[in-house]
Amino acid sequence: MAANKKPINYEPSSFRDPSGVIYYQDNTVFRQVNPSFQPHLDTLFTSGLFDTLTQEGMLLPHTRLKKPQLPGAYATFRTEKLPFISYPYEWTFSQLKDAALLTLTLQKTALEHGMTLKDASAYNVQFLNDKAVFIDLLSFEIYESGKPWVAYRQFCQHFLGPLLLMSLVDIRLAQLLRVYIDGIPLDLVSKLLPKHTYLSLPIASHIHLHARNQQKFAAARDKAPTQSLGLSKLAQLGIIDSLQTLIQSLTYGDKNTEWGEYYTFTNYSDEAFLNKKRLVEKYLERIKPQTVWDIGANTGEFSRVASQKGIFTVSSDLDPVAVEKNYLSVKHHQQKNLLPLIIDLTNPSPALGWANIERASLIERGPADLVMALALIHHMAISNNVPFTQIAEFCRRIGKALIIEFVPKSDSQVQKLLATRQDIFDSYSQENFEQQFSNFFKIVEKTAIPESQRTLYLMTAK
Amino acid sequence: MIEIVLFLTAFLFVGATPVHAYLDPGTGSYITQIAIGFLVGGGYVAKVYWHQIKSRLQSLFGKKKKDGSEQKTD
Repeated sequence: MAANKKPINYEPSSFRDPSGVIYYQDNTVFRQVNPSFQPHLDTLFTSGLFDTLTQEGMLLPHTRLKKPQLPGAYATFRTEKLPFISYPYEWTFSQLKDAALLTLTLQKTALEHGMTLKDASAYNVQFLNDKAVFIDLLSFEIYESGKPWVAYRQFCQHFLGPLLLMSLVDIRLAQLLRVYIDGIPLDLVSKLLPKHTYLSLPIASHIHLHARNQQKFAAARDKAPTQSLGLSKLAQLGIIDSLQTLIQSLTYGDKNTEWGEYYTFTNYSDEAFLNKKRLVEKYLERIKPQTVWDIGANTGEFSRVASQKGIFTVSSDLDPVAVEKNYLSVKHHQQKNLLPLIIDLTNPSPALGWANIERASLIERGPADLVMALALIHHMAISNNVPFTQIAEFCRRIGKALIIEFVPKSDSQVQKLLATRQDIFDSYSQENFEQQFSNFFKIVEKTAIPESQRTLYLMTAK
Repeated sequence: MIEIVLFLTAFLFVGATPVHAYLDPGTGSYITQIAIGFLVGGGYVAKVYWHQIKSRLQSLFGKKKKDGSEQKTD
């Protein structure tokens, strides 16, 4: 077969599970299942679980090839290549909450079909249009009567702990997921949670007691009475139900961060805002990108200009409130092709995990066909002291084309940034901006945004 | 119904089956699950039965209501 001669690239994060492997050939994703996993895979299909989950949109559809593609495999599946792989430390509160509830529903449904989830990793969930979707076919194994949920600890570390910290302590603690790649250790969650959570039976048991038991029995593994005790399926369903009720009750409290109300405080008139939208639309039509990264997107007003044209758009911002609003809007209006994410451009997601290859950096996940950087340049250049040339180089690394807005020093937003600091930014001029960006891009079009002092550029990579 | 709930709750406590091996929940996580299972299992059974009773009542009540509204529109 000619297709087999094409080079195969193995997914660097799929080494942990000996049941199979993921690889890419051209633009197609293949999931290989090894013979050791045969009974579990067969049960996934004969029990009807696979059909139920894919029909409900909970599991990414997989198509089984007639024959395994590579020697030594039991089965090979082909699946859709997702336009962007996002990670839990880039998700907002409601995204993590939806991923958690999906995982619990999966476990409940699996138990009803005589199976169980052996992993409850947040990295097995991705966002497709307005829904969280489970992507790992090999996480389902045959349920053995009396056996507890093997992924319970992982679920608490990946989902429950971070959600409790975000909801009850501080939304920014979600960033601990960047440090702890297998979820936040429960003793740390227990330490960080307010004391009153000891009075909540679900939190006291799933976190505080759980953390204490981990420490207590860690040293006495052999003496623990685990060999004689089991957990009935009903009791396990009770635990899942308790987790579901607890997570559903969690809300995200602090709504007053820096950018949440940005659009009500801009110096744009309604007319200028509309003009900017029309210009963005015109530029997009000229380039016809398949993927757009809107960096510094706030609540995604302009990202929607792209996504509504059927272009897959990553709509990122550093402010969790703005991204939360963006995501809730995607869900509420069932919007397609839009992925809101929390990304701090001054410190974008790095490569993480074993040998720095398990989780890709932001740059490694690009380049996008087009990058949109609207009302962003002054924050990069003035608030973060990044010279134009470095901003241009970064934009070039993440995108093949660029829609960028130049905001002059006379603009009131820039004046605000300069109000409390010395103006050391002599090179912050439109002329220098064009000169520096011209080293990496060709300026294709440039239009002054009517009713504003700003200019919108369309550039393509040199 | 209460008897059934009580019976099933008792079954949860008595019906623990031996487990000879487990993968990697960690001993502490394992013990925690057993403890929480005892705590919430009975409540879960009661909740499931209560939902069943409620939905049956609702479907009966809903039918009557529907009939009534049909009469009105006629």
